[in-house]
Amino acid sequence: MYAEPIQRLIDELARLPGIGPKSAQRVAFHLLKLSEDDAGRLADAIVDVKARVRLCDVCFNVSDQELCEYCRDDRRDRTMICVVQEPPDIVALERTREYDGLYHVLQGHISPIEGIGPEDLRIAELLERLKAPPGSPEAIQEVIVATNPNIEGEATAMYLGRLIGPLGVKVTRLASGLPVGGDLEYADEVTLGRALSGRRRIQ
Amino acid sequence: MFVRKLALEDFRNYERAALELDPGLNLLIGRNAQGKTNLLEALYLLSGLGSPRSSDSALIREGADRALVHGCVVRGSRTLEIDMEFRSGRGPRALVNKTAVPGTRELSEITTCVFFGPDELSLIKGSPEGRRRFLDDVIVKLRPARFGIRREWDRVLKQRNALLRSWPRSGDPRTAVETLEVWDEAFARAGAALAAARLEGLGALLPFCRKRYEAVAGGGRIEIGYVSSWLSEALVLESLDGAELDPGELQDALASRLRELRSREIERGQSLIGPQRDDLAVRLASPGETVRDARSFGSQGEQRTGALALKLAEFDLLSDALDETPILLLDDVFSELDPARRASLSDAVRDMGQAVLTSAEPGAKGSATANTVYEVVSGEVRRRD
Repeated sequence: MYAEPIQRLIDELARLPGIGPKSAQRVAFHLLKLSEDDAGRLADAIVDVKARVRLCDVCFNVSDQELCEYCRDDRRDRTMICVVQEPPDIVALERTREYDGLYHVLQGHISPIEGIGPEDLRIAELLERLKAPPGSPEAIQEVIVATNPNIEGEATAMYLGRLIGPLGVKVTRLASGLPVGGDLEYADEVTLGRALSGRRRIQ
Repeated sequence: MFVRKLALEDFRNYERAALELDPGLNLLIGRNAQGKTNLLEALYLLSGLGSPRSSDSALIREGADRALVHGCVVRGSRTLEIDMEFRSGRGPRALVNKTAVPGTRELSEITTCVFFGPDELSLIKGSPEGRRRFLDDVIVKLRPARFGIRREWDRVLKQRNALLRSWPRSGDPRTAVETLEVWDEAFARAGAALAAARLEGLGALLPFCRKRYEAVAGGGRIEIGYVSSWLSEALVLESLDGAELDPGELQDALASRLRELRSREIERGQSLIGPQRDDLAVRLASPGETVRDARSFGSQGEQRTGALALKLAEFDLLSDALDETPILLLDDVFSELDPARRASLSDAVRDMGQAVLTSAEPGAKGSATANTVYEVVSGEVRRRD
């Protein structure tokens, strides 16, 4: 057993995702060796991020203001909403520079194993955003569902499709299929099957 | 294909061991509990499908922190070095030609093994789970890319069962039903894909199985059916006869049964139908008699012959489909067979590519004709010249 402050640090670190007891110990002893300044900066960064970062009132992206940078930006197309699971997904989509609409962050996916149902996600808030009457300038014309292409992400997408479809808003799903630069021969059957069923006419 | 060299470190009862194997018949002899089966197990692990025994938690030698299995596999004109590392509490890692591969299942593209041991009688006598696993493994060995179908199915089943188990969730009951409907659709799609692959695999296996059973038993018949509470018998029979299956049809069949059973599944808190409940029905007949259920009516010898025929059929099917003979691992099978069946099996094994047999009898039949004989004594392997 280590002295109480060290053990406490190890225990706290071990609660972080992807960090097991051994890594926690390694990180803890690395932190011990830091100068007072470096350790203070890390501690401040943690405290600061909790104090200053909040969720956007509209889309639930992380933000340091009431509205996130995308919801604030007037130049973006306000008739499209791209639905993602987590804030880092937005960063990934933004890197493509292919999309200039709005976002909505569900804050997770439907997963009964983890006890997460639709009511635990920001789905009601999404539906609220779709309420503007069709034809009005604020009306949303398309919802792009960009949840992960795994079992839980697909289930979440299916659920959203069933809910939003009847509202008269177009719902689309990101295409899934072969990775660019990959080899057809090495694709697994599920991926290849999906790529086949989602094939497109060559223009 | 064949394994040219096998080397172990801290694997089960072996501290270190290395064997050069012959592309033909290899025999491992030694008394019971010396480690013969462990060598077959190590060879099987090279195929990336996990241990043929129930758990692989005990792979690491007592007192060691990891076990290593190295194999040099020759397939066609390629020679591949496979290294596997097992540590407790984490999944196995694999290297091919010293380069890490994303998962051990990649190895199933390189090595294919057929394992037959004394426990294999459970293929006939044991629980449906063993028979499902046998068929599911055959599917993946035939087409490694199909692993995804199984993985997807396992995940959907777990999620749907978790949802049914936690029923009723707090909150809006309509939301709960809508969530279940989403999982029903995923369940029907993944379940239909797996069932279609199973029927196709079983249909391909059957002709080989009939031929092998007749040969080993010296007459008689074996019939294998796919028993399912959600597929129509007519559809099963047609597809086993080789008719093209429409996965959409299977999906609709499963989906409509799920709708009928919804309230009962909610009440019981688990999925009551689907591929996870299906089974194989093995029926056997002596010459001139009608087929009867092997599990309740077959003699011990008939059951053993039935299980052996299934395994040899797996070998035949894979040889046919892969254009390569799989590696045949036979664990102590001769001692369980009568002399006539023993003779017909040892004749058969001679032209089946690489075979590795174990036996507890020093003068075992076959030892005279084996190309390589190793003696196994408490974790030590010695070549006998």
